[in-house]
Amino acid sequence: MSSTYENVVEVRNLCKYFPIRAGLFGRVVGQVHAVENVTFSIRRGTTMGLVGESGCGKTTVGKTLLNLTPKTSGEVVFNGNTHLDQLKGKELRSFRPKIQLIFQDPYSSLSPRLPVGEIIGEAVREHHLVPDNEFDAYVSRIMKSCGLHDYQKDRYPHEFSGGQRQRICIARAIALNPDFIVCDEPVSALDVSIQAQIINLLEDLQKEFNLTYLFISHDLSVVQHISDTVGVMYLGNMVEFAGKKEIFANPLHPYTQALFSAIPVPDPTVKMNRIILEGSIPSPANPPSGCKFHTRCRECRDVCSQKAPRTLDMGNGHTVACHIYDPESGYGAR
Amino acid sequence: MSENNRINNDTEQLALDDGRRVKVLSPGMMVFKRFIRNKLAIAGIIILVFMFAFSFLGGVISPYRQDQVFYKTDSANKEYASAVVNTEFRFLTPDGAPLSTLVRANFSRVVKDAGEEGVSFEADGTIWSVKPLAESFYAIGTGKQLGTVTVLGKIADVKADPGEEISDAVKAAALKAAQSGAESFEAEGQTYMLTRGKAKSYTLATVAEAALASLLSYDVYDSADAEAVGTYAFRRAAELALRGGEKRFEADGAAYALDGEGDSGVICREGEDAPIATVSNVIVNPVTAGNFLPMTYKAAVAEAIDNKQTAFEYVNEAGETEKHTIRMRGNNYIVYTEQQTYLIDMYAAPSLSHPLGTDDHGMDVLTRLMYGGRISLMVGFVVMLLENLIGIIVGGVSGYFGGWTDTLLMRFVDLFNSIPYYPMMIIAGAIMDAFEVPPYTRIFLLMAIMGIMGWTGVARVVRGQILSLREQDFMVATEATGIRISRRIFKHLVPNVMPLLIVQATMGLGSIILAEATLSYLGLGIKYPLASWGSIINASSNIYVMTNFWYIWIPAGVLIVLTVLGFNFVGDGLRDAFDPKMKR
Repeated sequence: MSSTYENVVEVRNLCKYFPIRAGLFGRVVGQVHAVENVTFSIRRGTTMGLVGESGCGKTTVGKTLLNLTPKTSGEVVFNGNTHLDQLKGKELRSFRPKIQLIFQDPYSSLSPRLPVGEIIGEAVREHHLVPDNEFDAYVSRIMKSCGLHDYQKDRYPHEFSGGQRQRICIARAIALNPDFIVCDEPVSALDVSIQAQIINLLEDLQKEFNLTYLFISHDLSVVQHISDTVGVMYLGNMVEFAGKKEIFANPLHPYTQALFSAIPVPDPTVKMNRIILEGSIPSPANPPSGCKFHTRCRECRDVCSQKAPRTLDMGNGHTVACHIYDPESGYGAR
Repeated sequence: MSENNRINNDTEQLALDDGRRVKVLSPGMMVFKRFIRNKLAIAGIIILVFMFAFSFLGGVISPYRQDQVFYKTDSANKEYASAVVNTEFRFLTPDGAPLSTLVRANFSRVVKDAGEEGVSFEADGTIWSVKPLAESFYAIGTGKQLGTVTVLGKIADVKADPGEEISDAVKAAALKAAQSGAESFEAEGQTYMLTRGKAKSYTLATVAEAALASLLSYDVYDSADAEAVGTYAFRRAAELALRGGEKRFEADGAAYALDGEGDSGVICREGEDAPIATVSNVIVNPVTAGNFLPMTYKAAVAEAIDNKQTAFEYVNEAGETEKHTIRMRGNNYIVYTEQQTYLIDMYAAPSLSHPLGTDDHGMDVLTRLMYGGRISLMVGFVVMLLENLIGIIVGGVSGYFGGWTDTLLMRFVDLFNSIPYYPMMIIAGAIMDAFEVPPYTRIFLLMAIMGIMGWTGVARVVRGQILSLREQDFMVATEATGIRISRRIFKHLVPNVMPLLIVQATMGLGSIILAEATLSYLGLGIKYPLASWGSIINASSNIYVMTNFWYIWIPAGVLIVLTVLGFNFVGDGLRDAFDPKMKR
């Protein structure tokens, strides 16, 4: 590990807007507020889960973090000193191995024309991470540690099942000896039994290589299993952030409460107390005023539609963006 | 790791299905293996190998050149000579001097009016007399005025001109003739002529022969005899003998034998067999200028015409018997003969030496097909390469960079696409015709124009493919893993576009060959003496050739169809083989 800085990544006020173009000359007529003022940090060797509904900006956070799509504003700092958007060309490319990405779709994320060994080892050779004479052994070792056989090196991605493909994707990321991996819903395309294998693999690898994960998922039980800290996003905003135990035991934000109430309990005798959210998620191109959740919030009061809530530190690393917990917001007593 | 365990268990239980037993082939081998399992693709390959061997080796093996014209000898009833029965009098004077036009005209008029009667006329201030010697043979005499004969009833007088003397015997004969109304008389071995003047007076003149008028012409065998045959005495004696039916005559102190009667005959020196001249009223001329007709032939023609034959046989100098037929055409007789002629061997039926016959230029169709195949295939490949070169560059730039570059280039492609292909090619062909571009240059221009007109499809495909690949997760992954751009393009983009391009190009080859054939068929493409399969079919663009000479256009059509089919089969096979999702 090149750095021993405690926080592998720090994100401050990250914003990403996508312009909406229309007309003959592509005039910008509006913006999709995909990510707005997201702030969090991830400690080395831990996993942060990022949850939220579809379209709330989870994947955009991941891609913007890796500078695969340029951010609109805000700051992303790796190892306390590296700003990706300030790196150019070769510098950027040589830093890339430190931060990796695992895709949601294991089918489109592997080039159909390259054998698996080449897919995994390509970037290793590119960045000269191991000497040439150790290359084959290295790739074999990585494949083995990801649950693949080294005789599969010369096979093509289409010869593998979804779970095996996802292992290949993980092996490709692991092979570069990264500090930090963004796992963008790595198990959502897989069936449950394979999901467990992949989750276990990720956990094993984390222990083996001291990895740091940003685990993006809409599956709360997976997040509950793997994460150390959890961030909840709604319509581009991070509404709540806390340690796993804290947030699952004591969700503060009404949205988090509603979300967590939907976790299925594998016990038919337990009466589920689900909070049903009315309506659907508003368009990020035209977000509601004030608190973005106020249109669906059962605790909504006048102030919620007028003023955007501040992010409050509730102690113990637990932050929440809600007027209810802000004595100065004018929400009034509960 | 439960999946790992499962695999291990499988290995132990189902050793035959063990993944390690599966032989891993290189990507190229995989494609090859999949390709050769495709029966249609193999058929296509066999067709194409045959076509290439046929075109590129065939031209070497074929004993003929592509523009070699074949000839045949054939007998044809050709016009050989024309003959005319002479109706124009020919004149001969003793000293060889020509008669004046006026005299000749008057003579003709007088002969026509008076028939065979001896008449006289006045021309050039002289008195001329016409005296028939035989049928259509006249002696023209000139008169010298001696005096005047006046006849008044019973009283007649002969008065000599000053300086002239007239003997009594002549006077008496003149008076007698004048009184009886005769125009000429003979006295003292001399011919005298009376020409009616004013009132009852006649002019008395002596007559001396000045010219012969004859319808016959003489042909001399040996030019050494020309002088003897041309003399006045010879002609006079010969014609008199001929007309009189005599077998010999004498002239200039030599004796001649004459064989013939009526209007024609052969003259020999007496005691010799070799003829020196023929005489005839028939003039025989060759139809082709410069073609020499032997004397014996002319004689034979004249004899046949005299005998009113419509066919005769003639033994030529080589001793062969030629059959000739005579037909009347107006006043002329045309002599036809069967002649061996050297002809271009057009539309020859298939034979051992020409397995597919010959075409309208007399060239071997099979050889033309071989050389034509070279050009058709070459045009196909060069145009395909050109189209792909331009298409990949434009489409690749457009797809990879996107944005306004993409918009601009794609509008340019639209512009190109809206140019009508065939009218454009017809105009280009007409321009090349107008500038008389040489055949080889024409091929290169044709390839350039076809390439320039055809790249837009490739550009669109490449652009679309690159646009869709650019957004694929594996391309994002190459960026996330920090792989350099050149490797991203050549290791990830190109291999994914390549199969499509190869398939497109192979399929495209067929349509390019078709387009070239169409252009050549329309006469805009490859020009004579070069050939392409299309231009060979063009040779049979009329219904007569199409219905009667199948062996010219059907083989070319079959070759085109087979080649296009072959390229399409191979293209299909390649597409399936390149598709890694295909079962092995």
